[in-house]
Amino acid sequence: MTAVETEAGTLQKGAAVGQSIPRKEDNRLVQGQGVFFDDVKRHGMGYLHFVRSPYAHAKIESIDVSAALELPGVYGTLTGDEVAILTDPFFQIAAPPGGHVKDYALAVGKVRYLGEPVVAVVAETRELARDASELVLVDYDPLPVLVDARRALEADAPVLHEECGGNLSYAGVWEWGDVDAAFDEADHVVSIKELHFDRFNSTPLECSGALVEFNRGTGQWTMYTNNQFPGFAAIMMGPALRVGLDKLRIVTQDIGGGFGNKITTHPQLVACCLLARKLNRPIQWTEWRTEFHQSMSHGNERWFEDTEVAVQADGTLLGFRTKAIDDAGAFLRYEPLGGVIWSQVAAGLYKWRHLRLEFTQAMTNKAPVSPNRGYSRMQQLWFTERVIDIVAQELGFDPVEIRKRNYVQPEDMPYETPNGCVYDSGDYPRALDLALELIGYDGIEERRAEASSRGRLLGLGIGSTLDSGTNNFGQSQLVNPDLQFSGNNEVATVKLDIFGEVVVTLGTTPQGQGHETTASQVVADILGCSVDTVHVRAGHDSYWNSHAGFSGTYASQFAVTGLGAVKGAADMLAGQMKKLASMVFQCPEEAIELADGFARIKDNPEAALPFMALGAIPNANNAGFPEDPPTMNCRYVYRPFFEVPDKERKFGNLTLTYATQIHACVVEIDPETGVTEVVDYAAVDDCGVRVNPQIVEGQVMGATAHAIGAALWETFTYDEDGNLLTPNFYDYHVPHALDMPPLKTAAIESPSPFTPLGTKGMGEGGGGGIHCICAGIQDALRAAGAPIVTDSHNPYHRVWELIQHPERSRESVEVRST
Amino acid sequence: MLLREVEYARPATVEEAIALLSEHDGARALAGGQTLVNVMKARAASPDVLVDLVDLDELRQISFSADQASLELGAMVTSTQLAASSEIEVARPIIAEVVSTIADVQVRNRGTIGGNICVNDPTNHLPPLLVALGASMTIRNSAGERTVAAEDFFLGVFTTAVGEGDLLTRVSVPTRKPGTGDAMAGVTLGAHGTYLVSAAATVGSDGVRIALGCVSSVPVRARAMEQALADGDLTERSVRAAAAGLGASLDPPADVHASADYRRHLAEVSAVRAVLQAAERAKG
Amino acid sequence: MAVTPTTGRTISVEINGTTYEREVPASRLLVHFLRDDLDLTGTHVGCDTGSCGACTVQLDGQAVKSCSVLAVQAHGTSVRTVEGLAGKDGELNALQRSFHEHHGLQCGYCTPGMLMSATALLESNPQPTEHDVKIALQGNICRCTGYWNIIEAVVAAGQGGAA
Repeated sequence: MTAVETEAGTLQKGAAVGQSIPRKEDNRLVQGQGVFFDDVKRHGMGYLHFVRSPYAHAKIESIDVSAALELPGVYGTLTGDEVAILTDPFFQIAAPPGGHVKDYALAVGKVRYLGEPVVAVVAETRELARDASELVLVDYDPLPVLVDARRALEADAPVLHEECGGNLSYAGVWEWGDVDAAFDEADHVVSIKELHFDRFNSTPLECSGALVEFNRGTGQWTMYTNNQFPGFAAIMMGPALRVGLDKLRIVTQDIGGGFGNKITTHPQLVACCLLARKLNRPIQWTEWRTEFHQSMSHGNERWFEDTEVAVQADGTLLGFRTKAIDDAGAFLRYEPLGGVIWSQVAAGLYKWRHLRLEFTQAMTNKAPVSPNRGYSRMQQLWFTERVIDIVAQELGFDPVEIRKRNYVQPEDMPYETPNGCVYDSGDYPRALDLALELIGYDGIEERRAEASSRGRLLGLGIGSTLDSGTNNFGQSQLVNPDLQFSGNNEVATVKLDIFGEVVVTLGTTPQGQGHETTASQVVADILGCSVDTVHVRAGHDSYWNSHAGFSGTYASQFAVTGLGAVKGAADMLAGQMKKLASMVFQCPEEAIELADGFARIKDNPEAALPFMALGAIPNANNAGFPEDPPTMNCRYVYRPFFEVPDKERKFGNLTLTYATQIHACVVEIDPETGVTEVVDYAAVDDCGVRVNPQIVEGQVMGATAHAIGAALWETFTYDEDGNLLTPNFYDYHVPHALDMPPLKTAAIESPSPFTPLGTKGMGEGGGGGIHCICAGIQDALRAAGAPIVTDSHNPYHRVWELIQHPERSRESVEVRST
Repeated sequence: MLLREVEYARPATVEEAIALLSEHDGARALAGGQTLVNVMKARAASPDVLVDLVDLDELRQISFSADQASLELGAMVTSTQLAASSEIEVARPIIAEVVSTIADVQVRNRGTIGGNICVNDPTNHLPPLLVALGASMTIRNSAGERTVAAEDFFLGVFTTAVGEGDLLTRVSVPTRKPGTGDAMAGVTLGAHGTYLVSAAATVGSDGVRIALGCVSSVPVRARAMEQALADGDLTERSVRAAAAGLGASLDPPADVHASADYRRHLAEVSAVRAVLQAAERAKG
Repeated sequence: MAVTPTTGRTISVEINGTTYEREVPASRLLVHFLRDDLDLTGTHVGCDTGSCGACTVQLDGQAVKSCSVLAVQAHGTSVRTVEGLAGKDGELNALQRSFHEHHGLQCGYCTPGMLMSATALLESNPQPTEHDVKIALQGNICRCTGYWNIIEAVVAAGQGGAA
C-alpha cells in the first residue's frame, strides 16, 4: 500500500538506515513495563492536588488553608503569596509591554483563566489531597471577562495584566517584496473578510505530571517528569527558583505523547519543587484530563482579517495582505514566538513574492497557549491553502492546476522565499500527482454521482502543507530584539564500554517517535555492527551531560538535530576505533575498516579486534602505549549552520529543512443534517532520507488523525463567562477507531542538501488534514449554494449553517477585477 | 477523578438491597457503574452508601412472560447480554441493534438496562426507545411491587419514578407483532458517540409511536406527528408532511454541539428517518 | 455482614493468576488499586470520564475500564492486566509480537488497554475482520497512531491463529 519513489541518489543509506526495523522501544511497552512519570514511586511521597480557579477572571481576596491543614494526612499547602516571596516571575520572551507579564507557579493576587492553579495541597494519598482541596477557602471577587482576542485591544476591554497596561503581547508588520505594486498590477483582487483557525490541541493520552525530589544536602531537585523540552524548562525554572541550572535534574523515560503540549509545564514543576523543599518529601503531581483541558497548552487561535489576494488573469498568485490576530490565552509562556514562527512558511508552498501580514497577539481569559503539533506554521499554511482554494473557486480555476501553476517547482530548489527562508528540496507537483492517484482523482465524478444517488454531497479536497524543521532560534529576536537566543543544537554521546558494548545517550525526550531505534540504526551503519548490539538509553537525564540549551523533542527536528548529533558522535567513535586498532596492529589508520562487529585490516580480515578488545584498552588496559589511546567516549554537539536573521527586514533562514506533505480526502456530507464523514484519504510525505520508513509513516498517520479530529470535532470553545465548554473527552470528541477513513500513503525522498544524513524532521506534519477537509467540504457544497469555508473547524452544526445560509459566507468574499 | 469517602454494601438478595436503600438516606444502587462511578469521580454527586447489585441473580434474567406477549428483562442485564440474547433477536431485535451502538465494548460489558434508564441522561439510548416500544418498568420496595409505563417512568432531570427505597427490578417490552417495524435514528458525536438528537419509532397495526431523545429532560412523544400518520400513509411525502412543526413544538437545550434551532431541525429529520425505516421494516 | 455498609473492606482478587487479599477503601478505583496498591503500573489512566480506555483490563474475561469499576466490585473476580500477557520468561505472545511487527504503538501509553481489548476480542472471535477489530477497539483512544496499524496488527494476530 505504500509506494516509495526516490527522487535522487540517497545519502548514507546502509544496512540499517533506510530499513523499517521494528522498534527497540516496543519490548517494554507491550508488556506494560514502560516507565511513565506516574509509575515512579518514592517512600513517603506526598500527592499534590491543585485548587483551581472556578472563575475566568477575578481578584483573589483571601485564601484560608487552615481547614485543609487540619485534615489528618495532609502534609502541607502552598499559596501564591509564598510563591511570590520564594521565586521570581518567569522570564518573558515578549518585549514590553507584553514582557511585563508576571507569571508565577501559582496565581498571585488574581486569577486569569478558569482552571488556573491557585493553591497546592499535598497529602498522604491521592484521595486525601483531593478531599483536602475542597476545604481550602478562596474568596474571589469576579471581574469582567475577555474571551475574544479581536476585542482585546479595545479601550474598554478588561485588562488581564495591569503591569502591561493592556492585553497586547506582540504586534509587528511583516512585509516583503512590493506589495502595493503587486496589487496595482493584479488582474483580480480577491478579498476575504475573515478566516478563522480554531483553538484545539493534541490531547496526548498521558497528561502532565511529575515526581519531584529535593536533596537537602546539595540543594538539587530531581524531577521525573514528561516535559518534552527540558532545555527550555530549565532556563525558565532556574532563575525563578534562584538557582543555577545544575540544581535542576530533569529525567524522562517514557512519555505518553507530547505533540508540543508538554513544553510549558514549568509553572507546575516549580510548585512541586517548592513543596518538595518545604515539606521535605517527594512530591507526586498527576494532572487529570479535565485539568489538562482547562489549563494546559491550547493551540493558537488565529484570525486572518481583511485578506486581499493579488491574482493574475492566468491564475498566478502575486501576493497577499492580511491582518492576523492571535489569541495567546492568559499567560505568555512560549509566546510570542508564535508571532514569528509562522513566517518560516509565510509563502506556503507558493511562489508569490509580495506578502504583507500584520501580526497582533493579545491575551485573553483562556488557558495559556503553547506549541501544538504544527505550531504556528499550521495556521499560516491553512491560510495559504484556504486562499488558493477560494481564489480558485471564485475565479473558476481548477484547484489542481492553480496549485501546480503556483507551487515552487523542484528545479527551483533550494528556493529562497521572500523573507529569506530556504526551502531545501521537494517536488510538490509530483507529490500532488501521487496523492491524486491514490485518492482516485480520475474517478471522482462517478463517485460524486453515486453519492448523490444516496442523497449525499461528495467533495474532494487537497491540502498541501510543509513541515518546517530545525529552528533557528535567532528568529526569536524578530519579536524581541533584546533576546540572546540564536541557532540550535542537540547533543549525543556514543561510547564503547569496557566489555565493548556500544552505548548511546541523547539529549532528546521522545514521546513515541522511536529515537532509540533510529539512533541505533545510524550508529550501527557507522560502526559496522548490528542494530541489536547498539544500546540507546531511554529518555533524557540532565545527569548524562548529553544535552544543551535547546535539547528536547519538539518542532520536527530529531532526524536532523538528534540524529545529526548521533552521527557526529558515532563518526568520532569510529575514527577513534580505527586509530586504536591501528595502534594495536601498528598499521596506518587507512588500512582499518569497521565491519561485522570488528575493527579489522581491510587486506587481512583475519586480523580483527572485537569491540570488547577496543573498549577494554582505554578503560582498564592502557599501559604500554607510547601515546594516549583514544578514550572511546565521544560527545558531539550538532549545530546547524545559521546566521542571526536581519531584524530590520525580518529576513533570514529560520528553519533548516522543509518536509512536504500533500493530503487529499473525499468527504460525504448529509445535506439534511450537516453530518460530515471522511470516506477516503491519501497522504504523500517527502521528508528526505527516511531512516526508518515505518516510523515515518506512523508519524504521517498520527498527524492525519489529529488533523481529522481538529477539522471535524475537536475544539476548545468558551462561553462568554470564560467557561470551557469542552473540558474533557465527553464533549471534546477525538477520533476513535470507527471514525477513521481508509488511508493510503506514499513517500518521496528528496534528500535535504543541508543535513548530515539528508534527512528532514517531519513529526508534526503541518495539519494537511485540516486543509484538505476544509477544501473537501467546500467542494461538496458547490452543489448547495457554494458557501465558502472560512473556519478550520467544521463540526456538523457549522456545515449545516453553510448549507442553510450559503449567502452569509459568500458575503465575506469579494472579487474586483481590472 | 477521585471519589469521596463512601460506604459500600453488597446484599445477597433483592430484599436486602431494598432494605439498604430504605434505611440509608443517601443510598444509591450500583449496577454497572459506568455512569455512577464517573459521576462520583467528577464529584457531581456523592452518595453516602453504594448498594452493589452484582450478586442479585434474580435481576439478571431474560425471559418471556407467561402469555409470551412481552419480554422480561432483568434490570441488571448488561448491554452485551442484550446484544447477544436469542430471545431479543427473536422477539424485539431493535433492542440488540440499539444497544450495540452504545459507546464501546467495555461500557456495554458493564452497563445495564436498569442503569441506562434510571440515570435518565437525556442523551441515553434506551429511554426514548423504550417509550416508543411502549415498555413498562417494575419497581419494588418494602411495600411491594408496582409497574409504571415508560412514559410515566421518566420524570425530570436525571429523575425517574424510582425514588428513595425503590429498586427497579425489570423492564417489560412488548414482543414484536407481525407487521411491526422498529427503528432508531439520530445524530451522534462521531461513530457510536453520544447522541445530539435521537428518535425512536415503532410502526405497526395500531399506528405509529415516536419518541425523541436529547430535546428535553425526558423522552418526548411526537404526538402530533403520530396523529398525522394515523391514516397509515407512510410514504416519504406523508411522513415529511407529518413532521412539519415538530421542531417548533420543542424547547431543546443549546450547547457547544448544537443550538436549540439545530436540535429542532435534527429532531424533525431524525423522526422522519426513524419512521421511514420502521415502516420499511414493518413490511417484513 | 454483607448488609452492613462499610467505608472499606478486605477484598480478594485474582490478578494474572495470583490471588491478592487487601483492605481497600470503597472509594478506590480498580485502576488505582492495580497501580498504587499492587504496583502493577502497566494499566494507565488517560482521562477522568471513562472515555479513553487506557485503563482497560479483563475482568472475568471481559474487557472493562478499570477506572469505572471500584476495587470492591472486583472482589471475587479474576482480572488480567497487560502484565499477564507475556510468558513467564518474558516471551511476548503472538498479539504483542504482532503489535511490534506492524508498528502498532508509538508512545505506548494506550497500548496496554489496546492489548487487553484485543485479547478479549481474540478469545471470543479468533479471526476477526477489520470491522470486528474496530468495534472491539472503539473504546480505546490513541492519539499517536491513528489506529490503522493497530487494527492491522490485531487482524494479523487473528490470521496467525493465536492469542
